[in-house]
Parts: sequence; C-alpha cells; structure tokens
Amino acid sequence: MDVQCSSCGARLALEENLRTIECPYCAASSIVERAADPERPSPTFVLGFSVSQIQARERAADWLRGRSLFAKKGVHKAAVENVRGVYVPAYLYSSAATSGFSADIGEEYQRTESYTTTENGKTVTKTRRVTETEWRPLSGRFAEYIPDVLVTASRGLANEELEAIEPFDLRLLRRYDPALLSGWAAEEPSMSGSQCLEVARREALERTGERLSGFMPGDKHRGLEQSTELSNEELDLCLVPVWVMAARYREKAAPVRIVINGQSGEVHGETPLSWLKIGGAAIALLAVLAAIVFALSGA
Amino acid sequence: MQEAAKVVSNGCSRCQCALEPDDLRCPVCGLATAPARRDAAAAQVVIVRCQACRASVSYSAEAQAPKCGYCGSVMRVETPEDPVEQAQAFLPFTVSPDEARKALGRFLARKSWFRPADLAARATLDAMKPVWWPAWVFNAKALVSWTADSDAGAGRAAWAPHSGQTSYVFRDVVVSASRGLTAKECEALTADYALSMAAESPRGPAEASIERFDTARSGARKLIVEAIEKEASGRVAKAEVPGSKSRKLKVAVMLSGLETVRYALPAYTLAYRYKQRLYRVVVHGQKAETILGKAPYSGWRICAAVLAGALAVGVAIAVAVLATR
Repeated sequence: MDVQCSSCGARLALEENLRTIECPYCAASSIVERAADPERPSPTFVLGFSVSQIQARERAADWLRGRSLFAKKGVHKAAVENVRGVYVPAYLYSSAATSGFSADIGEEYQRTESYTTTENGKTVTKTRRVTETEWRPLSGRFAEYIPDVLVTASRGLANEELEAIEPFDLRLLRRYDPALLSGWAAEEPSMSGSQCLEVARREALERTGERLSGFMPGDKHRGLEQSTELSNEELDLCLVPVWVMAARYREKAAPVRIVINGQSGEVHGETPLSWLKIGGAAIALLAVLAAIVFALSGA
Repeated sequence: MQEAAKVVSNGCSRCQCALEPDDLRCPVCGLATAPARRDAAAAQVVIVRCQACRASVSYSAEAQAPKCGYCGSVMRVETPEDPVEQAQAFLPFTVSPDEARKALGRFLARKSWFRPADLAARATLDAMKPVWWPAWVFNAKALVSWTADSDAGAGRAAWAPHSGQTSYVFRDVVVSASRGLTAKECEALTADYALSMAAESPRGPAEASIERFDTARSGARKLIVEAIEKEASGRVAKAEVPGSKSRKLKVAVMLSGLETVRYALPAYTLAYRYKQRLYRVVVHGQKAETILGKAPYSGWRICAAVLAGALAVGVAIAVAVLATR
C-alpha cells in the first residue's frame, strides 16, 4: 500500500502488516487508518510503552548474563541488536463460564492395623496407625466470569511468547488513540478474529479447569471432568507493547530472539544450549561416581 | 438507593454492574464499555503534531504520553483514571454530644463482677470526637457456587464432600473503609444506621471530622468484591452446607447488578480516664444504645473469683475422695 507523507509529500510504501511508518526524508511518523475490514478491525484499546529502549537493552543484557552454565559459548556476553519497540495486536477475550463438573473426592482417615515383626529372634505382633483414603463421587455446578484472556493476533509473536511475558497490567488500558502509536512500529492483526477466538476459548477452558481443580473439597481428587459453556463472549482488539531484539553470540550462528514486555520488563527467550558442555558435565559426573564406587569397593 | 447516591453513569450490558463514567471496561466481568471505533470508509494517514511547534511528535515511554522531540512539550492524552474517591452520601448525626456523654455514663454504670465498683464514680471523660467514618455500601445479586466437606453423610472418614449453587440478593451491605475504627467496632455499628436518611452534605456537630477514604478506585473495588465473597461464604456456611460441622468451604461468585455507594457514617469516639489509664468507647451516631468499648478489670475481684473457683474444685475433690472410702 502506498501512502503519502502528509508532512513533506513523499510517497512511501507501507507494508501490509504495519499500521505506522516513518518518513525517511522528514522523519515524520504517520499512522495509517485502513478502510473498514471485518477481519482487520480497528483497535479498541492500547497499552502504552513504559519501558524505554535503554531499559529494554539493560533487561536483555541482565537476562543474557543470567543464562545457565550450559548455554552456548558467548551467550552470556552476546551483543544485542535490532532493538525494536512494536505495538503487537492481541485480542482481549472475556465471557461468562457456566460449568457442570464431576470428580472423585478423596477424604483421608486413620486406621489402626496389626502387623508382625521379628525382635531379638522372636516374632511379635504390633499395631500401627495408617492413613487411608475414602473416595466419594461429587458432581455440581460452577459459574464465574472469565475477564482477562489475552491472545496474540500477530503471526510475528507466537501465543506462547506472549504468555511467557504476561501479565500486562490491564488497569492501564487506554482507549485507542493514534497519538499513542506515533513514532513506534505498530502491527496490523495478521490472524483472523475467528482463529483468535478459538485460541481464546481454549485458554478460557484451561483456566476454568484450573479454577475447578482448586475448587474441589476433600484432601485430594481424581477424575475431574468439566462440561463448560462460554456465553456472552466479547473479543476486543488491543495493541500491547513488546520490545523485540536479537542477541548475536557467534558470527555464523542464528541469533537468540528476545522479547520483553514493554510495560513490566518481563523477558523471554530460548537459550541455545551447548551439547558439548552438557555431555562433558555428564562424563565428569560419571567419572566421579565411578571413582567413588571404586574407592568404596577397594575399602 | 438514595437521591444523593446516584452518581453512576450506566450499567454493564453483560452483568448489569454499575460503571463510573470513565470506566473503559467493566471491573467485574471485563466487558469493554468503550464504544467500538467506527472504521474509516477509506484509508487515511494521520500525523500527530506538537500543539506548540507543529513538529511531528512521538510517544515517549518515559513520559507515557506523546512528547515533542524538538520543543519537549508533552501532549495531553486520555489517561487511565484510578482516583481516591470521597463520600457521596452523609448520614446525619441524630445523637447529640450530650446524649453520647450520657450513653458513656450508662456504659460505665453497667454492673459486672469483674469491673471495679467505683468505675462510674471515678472515671473522667478525657476527649469526645464526633466523626464520620468511611464505608462502602453495596447492593448486588450473586450466583454462588460452593463446595465443602461436612460431617453429613460421612462414611469411614469424618468428612463427606458436598456442593451446591444458590442465588443471593445483597441489600445495603456495609464494608468498612475506616482506619480509625477497628473492624469489630465497625461491624457492631453498621446494623443500626438508617441509610434512607442519606444526604449530599454532612449534618451534625460543628466540630465533627470526616475520615477520608484512602483507597484508590481499583483497590476499593477489589476490597468490595472480597467482602462480597466473604459475605457469600458466611451465608453458605450458615444456610447451605449440611451437617453440624464443615471444613474447606470454597465459593465462586458470579456478580450482577453491583452498585456501590461511598458513605460517611456518624459515630462518637470517646476516651475516659480511670486511675491514670485511658480507655476508648465508641457511641453510635444515630442510636445511643449502641455503645462499645473497653472497661478496666478489678484485680482483687479476679483474684477472689480464682480463689473461689480453686476452693470449689478442692471441695469437690475432697467430697469425691470421701465418697469413695
């Protein structure tokens, strides 16, 4: 899509997945409001960045320094590059969940039992207290709102990555205003609302399952089954602040991708592990164990 | 709800809970209240300009607002509100300072074996302060799901699991926001307030002070929801869980139609002195018969009671020993 910079008049090519562009001639930031499209709605909310680029770099450097001993050589001192603050599109889902549940509830009780043992060469009978579990079936109903499920609407940031840097403080949500995006990269949703709704529903059901697990009485439970109906569903497009960067630890190796929550500073990335170091450590451990066994058998 | 208390703008369309005018989402169920943006018919390019120097501005993470890189001016944008809100409704004092003083006199004259006999005669009033203490009063409906262990239907174990779901209507439930009064004092006072007398402005003794709410809106909402869960839990334990004893009661509350009003409730706090020590008493600001506080104990009377008890036990043992011979 071609847009005209309304500051200097230059014609600029805007990538299909972006909402903002900076003019290379006059440095003016333009926000492009596209025409109505049900698969690509306008955002309802924005969460503004509160972590600056300097803070994001520091967080990334701290995170790299704290990687495990088995990380590949150079990871701890890797150079951070391509630091970009991006407003990532995500859907905020809420609904009312009503469930029917059934489970076996374990209630513990104590019982005295007799047993025989040998003492000083004689067989004696003794008693001891043992804890037993009585299993009782329980079924019932459960109802609760599910207010804050956030799922990615961007193919550029996987839902697992978004979950890893959550939570976002949703009390600080603002009504969408182009001024909040000015000067920053902002993505358009690259996943459809219906795809995101399915992911959000799965997450909502998982959350209800966790709530139900904590809702069970007794000392323990097993075989918990739920049948949950989600009603009054709502999906709002939201732009969330994420710092994305690459940490290069070796010339020819793929860099480590790091994502940081632009509001809380929470960091996520996959640490590349050195199989050489892991193998060496395993061999060293085996050698120590063998030495101990040898020493003991010799003694 | 009273005239003075109607400040909420509208209700959430999912749970019918009252919303403040600047709420973007329902605080109870999370439904967006912001009207959906109308998408443009054709693409349009927006440049956000500095209102001072007309340069293009960028959002600043440090300022958390758009800030001009040339002249440094910060653009005003809508920011999330979390104000510390003050009382909307005042209940008038219907107990005068004189009546409160007399109530203290009656409290001191109450007969009790462990109290000093000269308490009413020797106690002197040290201070009396009329105060409006802050409280949230809510109305709501709730669908309450619960599970618990109880002794009803127990088999080999002492407990059997139970579950249920019930609807409650909460009317004028008071949640204290006071730091000056203890939770126990507030609980004892709340039953006797005539909430229908609420007015927009305070009416009472000229020297009366107003204790301010000191919790931001989001914190207050959390406290109110916790209070509703506690109230629901109490009602379920009392009326729903079968058997004579129970444990591990868990409730899940689905609220609807929640309306909260911030009240200022009248009370007198009095301090009296007895033998150099100060004791506090609270008198209800609308019902002088509701009075609570501390009174000194008589040391020798407690000793006498302990001795009498020991003597009684001794005599009982002696009688038992003699009877077995």
